[in-house]
Amino acid sequence: MGKILLVDITRCNGCYSCQLSCKDEHVTNDWSPYAKPQPNTGHFWWKTTETVIGTVPKVRVHYMHEMCQHCDNAPCIAAAKHGEVYRRDDGIVIIDPEKAYGQRHIMEACPYGAIYWNDDLNIPQKCTGCAHLLDNEGWTEPRCVQSCPTDALIYGEEADLKDRLGEFEQLHPEYGTGPRVYYKGLHNKFFVAGEIFDSVKDECLEGASVTLIDAQGKEVSTLKTDVFGDFWFERQEPGMYSLRIEMEGYPTRTLEAVDATKIDINVGSIDLAG
Amino acid sequence: MSNKEQTFTTFRNTGYSAFCNGSHVAAVDVKDGKILRIRPFRYDWKYSKEHINPWRIEARGKVLEAPTKTSCGPMGITWKKSIYSPNRILYPIKRVDWDPKGERNPQNRGISGYERISWDEALDLITYEIRRIIDTYGPYAIYAQGDGHGETKMVHGPHGCMFKLLDLLGGFTMQIRNADSWEGWFWGTKHFWGGEPFGLMPNCSNLYTDVARHSELLLYEGCDPTTTTRGFCSGDQISRFCLFYRDIGIETIYICPDLNYGAAVFADKWIPILPNTDPALHLAIAYQWLQAGTYDKEYLETHSVGFDKFADYVLGKEDGEPKTPEWASAKCGVPTRTIKALAKHWAEKVTSVVHGFGGPYIRGPYSSEVARIEGCVLGMQGLGKPGVHSMCFNNRAVFGSEDHPVAPPTPCSIMHEPYQLNVRAAYTGYNPFPWQGLPKQCIPETLIHDAILKGHFEIYGSSLQVTPASEQFIKYTYPAPGCSPIHMMWSDTPCLTTCWNDSNSTIQAFRHPSIEFILVQHPRMENDCLYADIVLPVNTKYEEEDIGDDRESAAFDLIYLEDKCIEPLGESFSDYEIVCKIAERLGLLEEYTDGESVQDKIKKGFDHSGVKEVCGFTWEEFREKGYFVVPCDPEWEKYRPGLNKFYEDPVKNPLETPSGLLEYESVDLKKYFPDDEERPPVPHWVESSEFHDERIGGERAKNYPMLVISNHPRHRTHANMDDNDWFHEIVTCKVRGDDGYLYEPVWLHPSDAEPKGIKDGDIVEVYNERGIVLGGAKVWERIMPGVIYMDHGSRADSIVPGKIDRGGAINLISPHNTTSKNCAGMVCSGFLADVRKCDIEGLRKQYPEAFNKPYNKDSGLVFERVIVKK
Repeated sequence: MGKILLVDITRCNGCYSCQLSCKDEHVTNDWSPYAKPQPNTGHFWWKTTETVIGTVPKVRVHYMHEMCQHCDNAPCIAAAKHGEVYRRDDGIVIIDPEKAYGQRHIMEACPYGAIYWNDDLNIPQKCTGCAHLLDNEGWTEPRCVQSCPTDALIYGEEADLKDRLGEFEQLHPEYGTGPRVYYKGLHNKFFVAGEIFDSVKDECLEGASVTLIDAQGKEVSTLKTDVFGDFWFERQEPGMYSLRIEMEGYPTRTLEAVDATKIDINVGSIDLAG
Repeated sequence: MSNKEQTFTTFRNTGYSAFCNGSHVAAVDVKDGKILRIRPFRYDWKYSKEHINPWRIEARGKVLEAPTKTSCGPMGITWKKSIYSPNRILYPIKRVDWDPKGERNPQNRGISGYERISWDEALDLITYEIRRIIDTYGPYAIYAQGDGHGETKMVHGPHGCMFKLLDLLGGFTMQIRNADSWEGWFWGTKHFWGGEPFGLMPNCSNLYTDVARHSELLLYEGCDPTTTTRGFCSGDQISRFCLFYRDIGIETIYICPDLNYGAAVFADKWIPILPNTDPALHLAIAYQWLQAGTYDKEYLETHSVGFDKFADYVLGKEDGEPKTPEWASAKCGVPTRTIKALAKHWAEKVTSVVHGFGGPYIRGPYSSEVARIEGCVLGMQGLGKPGVHSMCFNNRAVFGSEDHPVAPPTPCSIMHEPYQLNVRAAYTGYNPFPWQGLPKQCIPETLIHDAILKGHFEIYGSSLQVTPASEQFIKYTYPAPGCSPIHMMWSDTPCLTTCWNDSNSTIQAFRHPSIEFILVQHPRMENDCLYADIVLPVNTKYEEEDIGDDRESAAFDLIYLEDKCIEPLGESFSDYEIVCKIAERLGLLEEYTDGESVQDKIKKGFDHSGVKEVCGFTWEEFREKGYFVVPCDPEWEKYRPGLNKFYEDPVKNPLETPSGLLEYESVDLKKYFPDDEERPPVPHWVESSEFHDERIGGERAKNYPMLVISNHPRHRTHANMDDNDWFHEIVTCKVRGDDGYLYEPVWLHPSDAEPKGIKDGDIVEVYNERGIVLGGAKVWERIMPGVIYMDHGSRADSIVPGKIDRGGAINLISPHNTTSKNCAGMVCSGFLADVRKCDIEGLRKQYPEAFNKPYNKDSGLVFERVIVKK
């Protein structure tokens, strides 16, 4: 048991308060023995990134948050031969800033890239789960969670949160490190979207039937276009697809080679009259 | 209590919400004279939930409760960066070749650099100049600026904290702070639906709730609700409302040129539209409804005047030009089929138009017509019907004003006259609320360049943001009868160059020989400070003791004490203390302070707040707890939303228009300006006029074919916090050029960038005949083709003052003229320009001195760059 962190990306508004509050907490503040000060810039013990997906006018921004996963089988603990890195009873993994002096291999051991090297202090550094606040200041959550305005971040006892984990998944479970951070809405599934219209009538075609077919020829999903002639197949498995578009009064159209292997795709405007 | 051996928590309003309206309240943890952290805090930290009585909006089976913690947003959390900015001014400085007893060299403002002087020397020079100018020209020769940008403080200013002293000296010329974020509503819809004094849809009471319960479709037009006001009155609370609307299944369509930050995560659909062309779209929608008969004819018969004339205009009976989807599409860039579908959808669904308050939508050329035409189409669907509104995501209210009390439920409505929940009695700056009349001579902020360079202007309406509609028919001239033109400028909010119109002209005005002395007080060496003759160092609010209120959080109303956190840096003082120093030299200290200490004023603020009389909360408890939450009104639901009462009975509940009804033909405009083609009695699409040629179909478009959209910036508040190196690490904040400089992002669509040879990350020039502004290209799909996106407020960094700017202050090349001839509002978006790749090395060779200044690779501009003599 112990603490876990839930990151609900579907509720993130991209404000970066998490990343920034980490800096406010750790830059110029020395929280030894939990952590020495974070450099002013360049370290992201909480790292928020963003990806623009789709093309005009079907575009969205996907935010992502990466930090120490406080793994149950933490490779950094394994790499630290003399107790330089340890796990607490609550699951938080701490790099001892004194003992870890000069030990770059601790940083290099992390498959998530969550450990940073402090050139000035010559130490590896990372998220401490704000253990200094939990232990000494009566806090019940770390700074990042406290600063989130949309409740996209939830921190608590694993036992208490277990029921909510259904829609959440781990980041890179294949690493086998037992991360204690869970995500909802990871950008590992993509949308396939487009618009159906009639160029002769100059109208969006509402109610056209669009079928998404995967590379094996299996019909994954069928939906009707909305008043704007739009269709969005949300969160599809990465892969090559084809689309079949059917509407009474128009010949059936098929769109081959819809490439959603790496990222979301807007197939654009499809003219059933053209 | 800034005891070096103490650990304590105090409070700060961290927003930049203008004048005396606090927001973004944070807790500040201080230890041994050092600020440890700045963070949101829980409202119920020292009060029970029963006391604070959070509102609960119940709608469609779900509940949104008032947030339990404050939202100070990223700006609040990272406020330390502004305290310790490498661009802080820490001692008084004087321009080296400005000699009040010899050569003044006004032509060298912005070029000649500064030297350190002592406070004594500075005060000697300032008082000498004030006396000399008054003796020579009279008091109106002194122009004082106190606009809304800058830190929000109560006792310590800024925002016109010198006004009172200048009044004691016999008067002054006041810079008019215009309706700078909501121009179109101010100049336009006041003549459609009234809505004094701001012109937004009257009565925003409980709109958040009504929309949640009744609206089926929300059209987010033009302004980003999650970004526009986050720096000055909301933090990120608005995102909570957007999320709630999504959670309860309200359809959300964003109609804007850019995939703004709200659209990026909340939109069900984005309809890209060219900047400042929304009236064309709206007219075509009205056309479709007129053709199909899908509008509320009965409502219009009883609730409006002049609809037939509007219908004639839309159908082309007036001008021979039907406002068809084809007509509109050529102007606004939205496909005709999408316009038709939108018209159909809108007519079928209970629809509100929502805005992120001010921004590009409402401050382009002819913005009065943008606002009025939106009102016209809303009227066609029964404006005021449950779920049919024009709603601004402005959190609780418009700047906490009493006139438009509440957007979400009414947390402070238990406060009745004479008690208002605010501590304004402690305020020393200029307070425009309510309107108290005007000084003898005024200059609108939008006309400062004309006033100085042309020496005169003639306008209708002072443009002051809180004046009634009737004031828009009063003529003002400059110079005013019996007043001298201005010869001295004094500012405590210096950001004309980054935040107002055609500021390259303003730079020329700063350098005009008629301006003998420019005095600026400011914390950081930026923007207009660079044209001052003397710059005085102002400290940040963390270095002062103060009191504050927050009525804009959309959660609870608060008053709080701001204990001093750290000692002032360098030789800095607060704006108020600086004016006190000058007043003392002039023998007016007692009169200026009313004989009150800072502590006296803080206590006075509390005493006049009403919380003692209404809530029984004493000064002693306030001192002990540090903050007080005004509980939510248990009867908040009784306040009728929006124009609901007008909808039900327009006779009993008339609007503030002359007819009491929605005026499709304005009674007043017909009376006063019957021949005004830019703001005609019946609202029109205005293609071009004597004042503007800023459309893609116009003459100037042959040279400058792209339209600029300029939003409120995501990662600063106007010109504040542009030196925050933690923000600079965010991908949308700055673009680091090949030369290491942090350029302001310029969003371009790949289809525009590629033919111009512009790649993502390139240094580019955005230009028109008014000048060149450099930026860093973001080539991506977040902007529609044909549009240049560049936020306002990036710190100016002149290569050639008034001509070429490296800092990315896009307002430098915004239109010179105001909204229209009879509307002295600001135009800073929706104008023509073009973009090209920048030959940065060529510029470096040509202007080496501009490129060889000290620069901080993380935070950008540094104070030392302006010091030429140690």
